[in-house]
Amino acid sequence: MKKSDVLKLPSMPLQSPTFPRGPYRFFRRQYLVISYRSDAAAIREALPEPLVPAGDTVAVQWLDLPDGEGFGAYSAAAQIIPCTFKGEPCNFVSQMYVDNTPPLAGGREIWGYPMKYGKAVLKVTGDTLTGTLDYATQRAATGTMVYKHDAFRADLSKERELLARTQVTLKMIPDIDGTPAIAQLVGINFADVKLQGAWTGEARLELIPAVNCPLADLPVRRVTGGLHMVTDMTLPYGRVLHDYLA
Amino acid sequence: MTPEQILKLPSMPAASPSYPMGPYRFVNREYLIITYETDKDLLREAVPEPLEPNPEGHVLYEWIRMPDSSGFGDYTESGVVIPCLFQGQPINFTAQMYLDDEPPISAGREIWGFPKKYAHPKLEVCSDTITGTLHYAGQLVAMGTMAYKHAEAPGGIEATAKGMTKTQCNLKIIPDVDGSPKICQLVAYNLTDITIKGSWVSPARLHLIPHVNAPAADLPIKKIVGGKHFIGDLTLPHGRVLFDYIKDQAP
Repeated sequence: MKKSDVLKLPSMPLQSPTFPRGPYRFFRRQYLVISYRSDAAAIREALPEPLVPAGDTVAVQWLDLPDGEGFGAYSAAAQIIPCTFKGEPCNFVSQMYVDNTPPLAGGREIWGYPMKYGKAVLKVTGDTLTGTLDYATQRAATGTMVYKHDAFRADLSKERELLARTQVTLKMIPDIDGTPAIAQLVGINFADVKLQGAWTGEARLELIPAVNCPLADLPVRRVTGGLHMVTDMTLPYGRVLHDYLA
Repeated sequence: MTPEQILKLPSMPAASPSYPMGPYRFVNREYLIITYETDKDLLREAVPEPLEPNPEGHVLYEWIRMPDSSGFGDYTESGVVIPCLFQGQPINFTAQMYLDDEPPISAGREIWGFPKKYAHPKLEVCSDTITGTLHYAGQLVAMGTMAYKHAEAPGGIEATAKGMTKTQCNLKIIPDVDGSPKICQLVAYNLTDITIKGSWVSPARLHLIPHVNAPAADLPIKKIVGGKHFIGDLTLPHGRVLFDYIKDQAP
């Protein structure tokens, strides 16, 4: 392959790039978000400066992604820490688990989504919206929520505001000698969000301590509620909010 | 978490880095390597300039069992390696790699640019046959078989250990957050502290099945050259940049 063509590759490997160029459109992207109060000191420790924690409430969320352009069909689970950056409300994505290489590699390499390989499942079981996460064969999280108890709620403005909020990731890529080549806070805003439905209700969450999937390091003090959403949306490229090497 | 702590992180996520700092030590690493001859035009297309593919048109298809790998754990890998020349010197280019463990996928891609994807390779002895298989997205894409320890490799374990010191390289591509190339380099490394415990050659066969996301069969098999099986301990250190596609091509 010619040198000039090498620079046009979207990703490794040359013969079969893991992910194509973005942006990436998702259809019927379904969320289960369980918010809970945790330990303020543990949150401060988990959040990179200069981000500032916004209270002591965090969230664990499951995503079912049946149709992700360039990525395929897969599932994910994540831990989200609400925070502020220069006063602007943001969501810091502190941990993320997926079962599919293109979003795993693309997530880490483009935006710094902190993805590891884990088996997340989000499905409706009888009367219960159920999220599970297994890591290295062991259960790490189980979340349950009532199914569409407020089906006729008219005002979905809070959910729209949540989906519009800037997501922040800590992108770390080493150089070939092991020193950091990239160390940035990256800001991401979903585009063309179509909210197909949103429901709130009672939820419960169990986090199990696991060293390589440490969701339970932000312990569950009290669950404050569940949120179930179905969306179509576009994941565009991001922007550098803060460069630790600059 | 302070900026000083962040800059000391070996990898993402900060809450639980995927991989620690290198180097990485591998104990009882077992290889099945089947060498074959392929189409030279297709081989040229699969090798990034300024590398030159070997004039014989040889390709190595490999399975590697790694039961004890510091920082990474217990996993199996399979892939395509192309012997090349860089400025006239022999070098092995890793063209494709498939494995079943996330830390070596992320570390491999992010540190050295190993072109790794998640899949299910397997290397095992099935009665009289060393058998390697690779499943990608539920489908079989490669199956290699080799007779079991028919003859010691020429030159014995010393020659195999020496062969393992050969410089290896990858094409490391990391996009910037706006999608433009941030890192685009040929990266080289040399394994160190190599102890080979056994090395054998035997007849072998290889079957590659066309698959769009695991396209080993894009380099078709014209003729099997031979099979090699060996076990050893080794260290994978950090590497060095051989060629930078962004800087070295800048006007």
